[in-house]
Amino acid sequence: MIAKYLLWLLLMLGLVGCGSPPPEGLRFAIANAAVTLDPRFSTDATSARVNRLIYQQLIDFDEANRAIPALAEWRQLSERHYRFQLMGESLFHDGTPLQAADVLATYQSVLDPATASPHRAALKLIASMAIVDERTIDFHLNKSDPLFPGYLVIGILPRKLLATQHPFNTQPVGSGPFRFVAWPEEGRLQLERLSDQRSVTFIRVKDPTVRALKLLRGEVDLLQNELPSEIVQHLVAEGMQVERRAGSNFSYLGFNFEDSLTGQQVVREAIAYALDRESIIHYLFADGAQLATSLLPPSHWAGHPSLTPYPYDPDHARQLLSSIGVSASEPLQISYKTSSDPFRIRLATVIQQQLGEVNIKVNIQSYDWGTFYGDIKKGVFQMYSLAWVGIKTPDIYRYVFHSEAIPPNGANRGRYVNPEVDRLIEQAESAATQPARVEAYRKLQALVFKELPYVPLWYEEHLYVARPDIKGYVLSSDGNYDGLIHVQRQ
Amino acid sequence: MVNFIASRLLSAFVVVLGVSCIVFLFIHLIPGDPVEVMLGESARPADREALREALGLHLPILQQLQNYYIGLFQFDLGHSLHSSRPVLALMAERIPATLELALASLIVAVAIAFPLGTIAAIRQHTLWDQGAMGFALVGVSIPNFVMGPLLILLFSVILGWLPVSGREGFASLLLPAITLGSALAAVLSRMVRASLLEVLSEDYIRTARAKGLSEWRVVWLHGVRNALLPVVTLLGLQLGVLLGGAVITETIFSWPGIGQLTIEAIQRRDYPVLQACILLISLAYVVVNTLTDLVYGWLDPRIRLGEG
Repeated sequence: MIAKYLLWLLLMLGLVGCGSPPPEGLRFAIANAAVTLDPRFSTDATSARVNRLIYQQLIDFDEANRAIPALAEWRQLSERHYRFQLMGESLFHDGTPLQAADVLATYQSVLDPATASPHRAALKLIASMAIVDERTIDFHLNKSDPLFPGYLVIGILPRKLLATQHPFNTQPVGSGPFRFVAWPEEGRLQLERLSDQRSVTFIRVKDPTVRALKLLRGEVDLLQNELPSEIVQHLVAEGMQVERRAGSNFSYLGFNFEDSLTGQQVVREAIAYALDRESIIHYLFADGAQLATSLLPPSHWAGHPSLTPYPYDPDHARQLLSSIGVSASEPLQISYKTSSDPFRIRLATVIQQQLGEVNIKVNIQSYDWGTFYGDIKKGVFQMYSLAWVGIKTPDIYRYVFHSEAIPPNGANRGRYVNPEVDRLIEQAESAATQPARVEAYRKLQALVFKELPYVPLWYEEHLYVARPDIKGYVLSSDGNYDGLIHVQRQ
Repeated sequence: MVNFIASRLLSAFVVVLGVSCIVFLFIHLIPGDPVEVMLGESARPADREALREALGLHLPILQQLQNYYIGLFQFDLGHSLHSSRPVLALMAERIPATLELALASLIVAVAIAFPLGTIAAIRQHTLWDQGAMGFALVGVSIPNFVMGPLLILLFSVILGWLPVSGREGFASLLLPAITLGSALAAVLSRMVRASLLEVLSEDYIRTARAKGLSEWRVVWLHGVRNALLPVVTLLGLQLGVLLGGAVITETIFSWPGIGQLTIEAIQRRDYPVLQACILLISLAYVVVNTLTDLVYGWLDPRIRLGEG
């Protein structure tokens, strides 16, 4: 009887398992599905990256994160007046031409409080907009901001469809290199590349092991990021193509300045010296990260090129801590909050062990994202770890370290207050020339590096893995999916 | 019978209303704000307030509850706070996948557990018994997050017979169904064995044998049917669990079911989606339990539902 059952099961498996040849289209495995295909509302990384393929934006960024023309080039006519002129001829996927009126309608929609766009805050400095001609639009600001062009990264929507409340979130119509085909379920999104009508399907596979197995079996063709180093090594051994590129996503340890322990400079400094970041990068990231010294990487136009990372020096850390009475018999007790992501917990455990070596007893508290984030915003923590993703413009310093940016007014979660930091931020923002601005930002970074409201950890590299027959994918420095524009199956 | 069904429907209605009310209040009490999750840190307080107002989260909680019930009675479960899509559409996408996986897992479990449990009972204290119960022990002991990848490795990567994950036809259903079903089969087969052993020691079984009935008829017609009552109870409860979504298995196999949706809704504090998921899960339990009670009457005619 049992033998019959097993035979039946094996027969069934054999029948249904008939292989099929690889499809014409490309299949891209992602860990998280896009949430919305309406660029006015996208805040998650996947949505932003997919929307870049469907829509065009006025500007883009070069390797040093300087704003460069994309759909339009611009001129600054006065301190508060910018003129953008569309370059080339662009058509929306429904065949209508992209004009200045579409740019106007898109930004008006974002700025309309009724739209409740999360990007409205970043664009509130726009006082008014005016169409000069079919291809030219003026932006008037209510205050001077030399970084302004860098804020115009919303994908442009067709004005006629905007007027009809078109559901862009599920039926996007853009003018980018890919057009929308179908989104039958949240984890499966199909686009078509306009240049050769090749389809690209984004398939959500949450589990990294399963993602790698799908790649090995040929059920997906390529994937990017979020793979543990041991899986990457296995994929290399199996003949998959692996490429890496330095990234700018900044990981850090943050501290609460209102806490009696982490508010002390000597404690933060001891922690900086106690962490063996090079070993963590080597063993946990398989060398797939670079040591960080500042929120902005040195390659950023406003980055600091010559800050030297705190060396791993546990003896010096113990010495610093002994000055405040900490010893092996009387260790410092610090709670460390992190998310429930398995990798973050693994990382926290390593940091716990390293800090234990210098007489800091760390109590790890991991929570689901909503609870963790809520606590961090409220300042209910001593020490936590997080990462800043997709930072392009140095105005992040105002959000993160200015004394007026304590939540809910910004992201100064550690309640770090330093008048000199405030002054340098304001000096950078009001600098008349680019060199003066860069100089102020560098002074600011050096001061923050010394005072350690954050202990900088590393910038994680971007990783791309593909089957051997996939060619032409180029990794970008911010992890976007623009490589799909040229990728081919050979 | 009609009285029974009517009373069960009424109690089901009360249960579902009660559960939805409790869930509504609890999810508003847990830390974490959907607006914070959606807007991130760069948003200004005014924009947060604007979004909170647009989503109706600025209203007093009792008014939100009232609005929720008004919508519920009009079959309007609202829109996802996260993706702005109608909750009903999101659920409609997921329910077929959940039903498919739950039923397939149940079939796998029954197909394995009944022969195994029966053989173990009628061949008690033999190698068959020890083998079957050993299998059950292994099935219970291996967690789904180990069993799933092992099955993928064997059947997808090494043998290349089945797809690794996703929901693309019958072939893709097999591995998640076997993963879930084998764990359930392990519990079920032990229950079948224990129940059947008890029944087989009853006087009427001895009488049946004394009448000269074949062993096959004694076991299958007189024994198994009477041993089914506790097994059906367990099956009913397990079906409820399966309909509520098998989060780990769904995650491993990228199966777009209710379990994943529920977890994502919790992480994103997507209240309308979470409420709809919990509502569906409680409905599934109520319906399955009612059906289980009805099956009792069919299995054992001495049980007269809704009488006495």
